[in-house]
Amino acid sequence: MIRTAYKSGITRASLSKRYLGNVSKLYYPEEVTGPVLVSENVPGPKTIELNKKLGEHFDNRATYFVTDYKNSLGNYISDCDGNKLLDVYAQISSIALGYNNPALIKTAQSEDMVNALVNRPALACFPSKEYGQILEEGILAAAPPGMTKVWTALSGSCANETAYKAALMYQASIKRGDNDFTAEELSSVMDNALPGTSDMVIMSFDKGFHGRLFGSLSTTRSKAIHKLDIPAFDWPKAPFPELKYPLSEFEAENRKEEERCLAEFERIIDQWPTQIAAFIVEPVQSEGGDNHASAFFFKGLREISKAKGVLMIVDEVQTGVGASGKFWAHEHWNLPTPPDMVTFSKKFQAAGFYFANPDLQPKQPFRQFNTWCGDPSKALLAKTIYQEVTHYGLVGRTAEIGDYVYGNLQSIFTKFPTQVKNLRGEKFGTFIAFEFNTANERNAFLVAARNKGLNIGGCGDQSVRMRPTLVFEREHADVFLQIVEDTLKQLYP
Amino acid sequence: MGISEQYFPNEPTAPVVATTEFPGPKSQESIAALNKVFDSRASYFVADYEKSLGNYIADVDGNMYLDVYAQIASIALGYNNPALIEVAKSDLMTRAIVDRPAMGNFPSKDLEGIASEILKVAPKGQDKLWSGLSGADANELAFKAAFMWYQGKKRGYTTEFTDAENESVMKNQAPGSPELAILSFKRAFHGRLFASGSATCSKPIHKLDFPSFNWPKAEYPEYKYPLSENEAYNKEEDKRCLTIVEDIFKSWAIPIAALLVEPIQSEGGDNHGSAEFFQGLRDITLKYGAALIIDEVQTGVGATGKFWAHEHFNITPAPDFVTFSKKFQSAGYFFHDSEIVPKHTYRQFNTWCGDPARMILAGAIGSEVTKHDLAARAQEVGAYLFAKLEALQSKYPKLMKNLRGKNRATFIAWSFEEPSLRNKFLADMKTVGVNIGGCAEDSVRLRPTLVFEEKHADILAAAIEKIYSSY
Ligand SMILES: Cc1ncc(COP(=O)(O)O)c(C=O)c1O
Ligand SMILES: Cc1ncc(COP(=O)(O)O)c(C=O)c1O
Repeated sequence: MIRTAYKSGITRASLSKRYLGNVSKLYYPEEVTGPVLVSENVPGPKTIELNKKLGEHFDNRATYFVTDYKNSLGNYISDCDGNKLLDVYAQISSIALGYNNPALIKTAQSEDMVNALVNRPALACFPSKEYGQILEEGILAAAPPGMTKVWTALSGSCANETAYKAALMYQASIKRGDNDFTAEELSSVMDNALPGTSDMVIMSFDKGFHGRLFGSLSTTRSKAIHKLDIPAFDWPKAPFPELKYPLSEFEAENRKEEERCLAEFERIIDQWPTQIAAFIVEPVQSEGGDNHASAFFFKGLREISKAKGVLMIVDEVQTGVGASGKFWAHEHWNLPTPPDMVTFSKKFQAAGFYFANPDLQPKQPFRQFNTWCGDPSKALLAKTIYQEVTHYGLVGRTAEIGDYVYGNLQSIFTKFPTQVKNLRGEKFGTFIAFEFNTANERNAFLVAARNKGLNIGGCGDQSVRMRPTLVFEREHADVFLQIVEDTLKQLYP
Repeated sequence: MGISEQYFPNEPTAPVVATTEFPGPKSQESIAALNKVFDSRASYFVADYEKSLGNYIADVDGNMYLDVYAQIASIALGYNNPALIEVAKSDLMTRAIVDRPAMGNFPSKDLEGIASEILKVAPKGQDKLWSGLSGADANELAFKAAFMWYQGKKRGYTTEFTDAENESVMKNQAPGSPELAILSFKRAFHGRLFASGSATCSKPIHKLDFPSFNWPKAEYPEYKYPLSENEAYNKEEDKRCLTIVEDIFKSWAIPIAALLVEPIQSEGGDNHGSAEFFQGLRDITLKYGAALIIDEVQTGVGATGKFWAHEHFNITPAPDFVTFSKKFQSAGYFFHDSEIVPKHTYRQFNTWCGDPARMILAGAIGSEVTKHDLAARAQEVGAYLFAKLEALQSKYPKLMKNLRGKNRATFIAWSFEEPSLRNKFLADMKTVGVNIGGCAEDSVRLRPTLVFEEKHADILAAAIEKIYSSY
């Protein structure tokens, strides 16, 4: 198959020090040049056997295959049967630099890492002398525009929940002013009753995904199966725009749809019976189906929320760290004022939230608190990831590769006009998705692609999402495109 | 040769006190700098972990404290333990760090080995594991499992969800998001996320301004000490509390899916319950069809003289869940009933589903504790220390009330008459080179490592006496 380079015509203020060679080859001279398939199917017999044994002690029924990480390299993941698959799912979007990255191995074997592993501190009480510097050279150096502080956590769910806590304490302290807690607050809270507990709420969007603990799950609105049987807070959800694709053909309709959603957002803020402390939104609703909205919509959210005193939390757990062609996806919007908090996890390995306003730290210590308050070993990894990403200009590179992939997918899909639809993620790095008519067809695609050596994931009910690493190069894109096309040809001869 | 000497031939033989104020000037400077980007107003001092060794923690001012707080009870084998360093440098660890898997989808072929190391030290009666990342996370994962199990029992384990459930749940409404409760206790501490925070009932400051679930609180026994002199009273106290538990089961408006309890309420003041009390809880949960979740986040991993504190109670049948974190480095819950795993996949799920790097450390900690029988050793050292503290108590009865933790190894605490006095004591202990923590408003808790030995106990007791004699 001959590929033509897709000309995007965009001028992106990409990161300065661009490395022009092939970063993947530099990191991974031994990386395979295409999938290697040794068993008849993926999962193969060894996975099935090992998984059975593991299943006696650990719920592993969602296993795709049992993985041999030792033999995984770069963009290729090896299963325990010896199959090597091109991985564009990358641990549910959480591998930034490829498997067995030499820079990360160096960090993993450093004295600093050993120290962080064997002497894990209770960070808020006994911070290590290195922690400030590790943050400044890593997580904070990567902070989105306007953000100067961070609170660290352990996963996407707990990053979001700590951000909710910060928002709730902030709003309560504004109401309370200089007054101390009242006696009634102090006693009622011990019965989980008002006024000590709070009836403020966190608003989210239909089809949003923000995690699966109780607070975060209350804001998650992706699928029933994520939520069933779990008690939830009665918190509001706003509609998220359902855009029509291709965007260029539906500009007027889409603008109208976004205006409708903004009006509804504002109406809910005005009419919800209790105060809305904050709202949370993903730059692209990922688990919920890779639903995009335009900068116009997000600017509108910022303006309305600012005017109404509702805090804006941008959940960059899945979109953050380069994959969108910006380090943080919300940088695509050029907001007039930054969000109040930005949460992160996944590809950064470390989790937490950024902010700028010091009042988002409660007046009294020990309120935003827990035993570990983060994990220095993950902060060290985040630092290396940030340094590698900037050193090699991987964000700009991802933007270019993404444009190339997008353009070629567009032309492949012209051959399957009724089967594949709604290609999304134009000019949005490799954060690309497309859709089938039914969940069954989508699932058939995922399985068939896997058997051709492509590890790829779904999202929403009938979408396929691409979530490769940041060292996904032209040659990987070509392998990817070839398999996508071959799979479609096989499914729709 | 003692275990601390085996691990740490160069461990300091006594604390070093290098400053007159705490935190010292360098710590203060460092805290101020860090505070600009990371809230560090709760910092005691800035630690130098490279220089810390065994039971001693170094700060940037050159102080070297005997540490009986141990990162809020989360260091099992001392600082810079050579066995853990070896594990930290292993290829297995490097892989776990650089290729962190989404374990639910792409488990490593190393996982079976890693999980079975942890399961070797599972509490009696438990043979399965789900992993999380912190104490709060572990508890909330257990709540979710308990809720799914409870509803599954009602509708039938394999019965499909109704349309009404599927629709209402997307609005956070019943029947899909049912109202269900976790019953916990006054003075309990289970974490600070929204559901764990709803079960926590230690101090208002932990809970204020957060939405919470309308979950009930029973009463945890308040014993009179010494236990040996107050047997009858304490037996009545058990009965009183068990009656309250049962009354709540009968009367609470929302169905109670699980009862959650600490073997020793730690943050809430080191409150103990008897074996009879815990068996009573087990019996009530069985009677009302609720799960029993034992929160061993703070009590687990040897410090009470058993690997898991609730093993002192011989609860039968075994609890449904045992949660862990802290000293084990890895977090999660143990369980045994296969129907606690929901029939549908992706219900107990998240990106990482734990952290193999921390699970490897948990396995190594478990194996060291077993190999050197450190729980039994803690029991010996604890008995030695307790006797010394009893002697101090008879000398300074007003400064050491309700000495508790007899036969619970080094998991020892006592109270002051006044919170202010307690706070002064904690601060003053720094001047004699001891890092020590409090719990509740008026208590002191000892949470040393498992390599804390008689020689350390001597230093600790002498330091306490030195401060007490100055009051
Ligand atoms: C946008 C977003 N937020 C939060 C989360 C939850 O992260 P975790 O699974 O680490 O709790 C996810 C996970 O997929 C996510 O995509
Ligand atoms: C008994 C108990 N459960 C849960 C927790 C919460 O653990 P974490 O701080 O890791 O969330 C603690 C912490 O002190 C605890 O002592």
